[in-house]
Amino acid sequence: MSDVISSRLSGRRSQWPIFIALVLVAATIIYPLYFVLITSLRPNPDYLADPFGLPGTWSLENYVKLIQVYGVDRAFLNSLMVCSVAVVVVLVLASIAGYALAKLPVPGAKIVTGTFVSVMLLPAPVLIIPIYLVLARLELVGNYGGLILVYVATGLPFATFFLTITFRAIPDEVLEAARIDGAGFFRTMWSIVRPMGASGIATLAVLQFLGVWNELIFGIILIPDQSLRLLTPTLAGIGSRFVTDQPLVSAGLFVTASIPLLLLALASRYIMSGLQAGVSR
Amino acid sequence: MTSVTSPLAGVASAAPAGGTPRKPGGLRKRDRVAGLLAVLPAFLIVVGFMAFPVGFALFISFTKTNGRTFEFRGFDNYVGMLTDPVVHQVFLNNLKFLISVPLVIFVALIVSVLLFERVRGWRFFRIIFFLPNVLSVAVIGIMFRNAFGYDGGVNQLLRLMGQEPILFFTNASYSIAIIILALVWAGFGYQALLLLAGLTAIAPSVYEAAALDGAGWWQRLWFITLPNIRRVLGFVFIINVLYTFTSLFGFVYVMTAGGPGYDTTTIDYLVYLRAFSSSNLGSGAALAVILFLFIGILTLIQNRVFRLQEED
Repeated sequence: MSDVISSRLSGRRSQWPIFIALVLVAATIIYPLYFVLITSLRPNPDYLADPFGLPGTWSLENYVKLIQVYGVDRAFLNSLMVCSVAVVVVLVLASIAGYALAKLPVPGAKIVTGTFVSVMLLPAPVLIIPIYLVLARLELVGNYGGLILVYVATGLPFATFFLTITFRAIPDEVLEAARIDGAGFFRTMWSIVRPMGASGIATLAVLQFLGVWNELIFGIILIPDQSLRLLTPTLAGIGSRFVTDQPLVSAGLFVTASIPLLLLALASRYIMSGLQAGVSR
Repeated sequence: MTSVTSPLAGVASAAPAGGTPRKPGGLRKRDRVAGLLAVLPAFLIVVGFMAFPVGFALFISFTKTNGRTFEFRGFDNYVGMLTDPVVHQVFLNNLKFLISVPLVIFVALIVSVLLFERVRGWRFFRIIFFLPNVLSVAVIGIMFRNAFGYDGGVNQLLRLMGQEPILFFTNASYSIAIIILALVWAGFGYQALLLLAGLTAIAPSVYEAAALDGAGWWQRLWFITLPNIRRVLGFVFIINVLYTFTSLFGFVYVMTAGGPGYDTTTIDYLVYLRAFSSSNLGSGAALAVILFLFIGILTLIQNRVFRLQEED
């Protein structure tokens, strides 16, 4: 393949040192994660006796403790639920808006895109006080509805921008043909825009899911009740209380990282292609 | 022209392009109504929960409030902030975290040049280097705090070498250094990929010509590669600066909680502290407004710089 053909800076002979350097850099990423995984699978005394060796006793007791004492299973499921709902709502609203901005004569389109672009890079710390007060007034603090609403609002600007660009690539002739066949707005969205923009929509879905899964600050302030918190804020709480039990915290780390790692393994193609498109928050 | 468009440059050029397709006249009005209705839900949510809150924060910053009653106080919160020694210290802390910017760019540059050689398996390495980017800052932060904790990997290594363990997080300099290390670890891979895209856009013929002229590896790196990716380098530089002012909250929250004292408290973390542990939300809002203005100015500078560079 083209892997070997185009060596731009150096000749082929000098590839080995470069390969070894890359392996070393990769090790700085892989080894800490390996260490976390191995540590999570052993009891604390076993870890303290020989931290760098393989476990003397393999055990799942840390994971059991996370579930029985800290309700991490509930937090995990709640996270999955909140992320899924937020991502689906963002995708639906952003698809509809993105299609209109890409292909229909929207009155005030400049105002809409201008607003979206100017709030896209808004850092969360600027928003926490007013959003908390607004949601408190609407009695949405402490339940998932308010949190989902905030995730949808913060996700929409980038999502709409991204899908507008994606849908612009759909040829006008195809849409015109659908119109002549009598397809209405939603029919066109479902049978033409959705399949033709599928890879863009998939990329966006993965990026948004990661964003919501990993979010911390709104997840803390909008769900004050510890027992209702989603997984990432729960982990932050466990992590800051149990400094001395490294295996327990490692298990929490692994549970929280599992879904993102799984997504990267399954959808690296989509994630890598979305990467050029934006530094989303 | 390079084929690398920065996300922000893309944003700027996308703005004026909304909806101008050619359409036969009769259907146009119906299309306008459909277009408006399609955009409205997303627009209302974004205005209600992002644009309006910014305006509301501005209003709050001029009041003394507990969240229920608002008492207009003019610029009191801003004056109070400018004379607050904690705010001064916290701003200086943010400046200290800027040390991470050259570090992460340096590592990213090395990695991107290595990847650019397209040695066997480079696609796989690309995914490995991207890996920290899918993890939450909470995960990365706790991982580093664990590693440097009393029983953590680093202290275990010190014990093996017969040294006394170090209480890293009771010392301000160590704490800052560890957060910076976490920032570099979390950021270099993604930025290496951005720089790699810049490198890929350089025409191969340039290198072939240089090779014929007998230019060595370092000469080619210094005289061809680096000048050709200065635009991407500039972009990476600015996102890093923005990042150190807006996105340290997660790291600080899980690693040090701002301590010891206020030694690792950053502006975004102070906004959180002031918002939920003081009786006056107004002062927290004033800090948020200043942060917002600061970010806005940096973004404007960035747009200006990139426009200038696109012209030459």
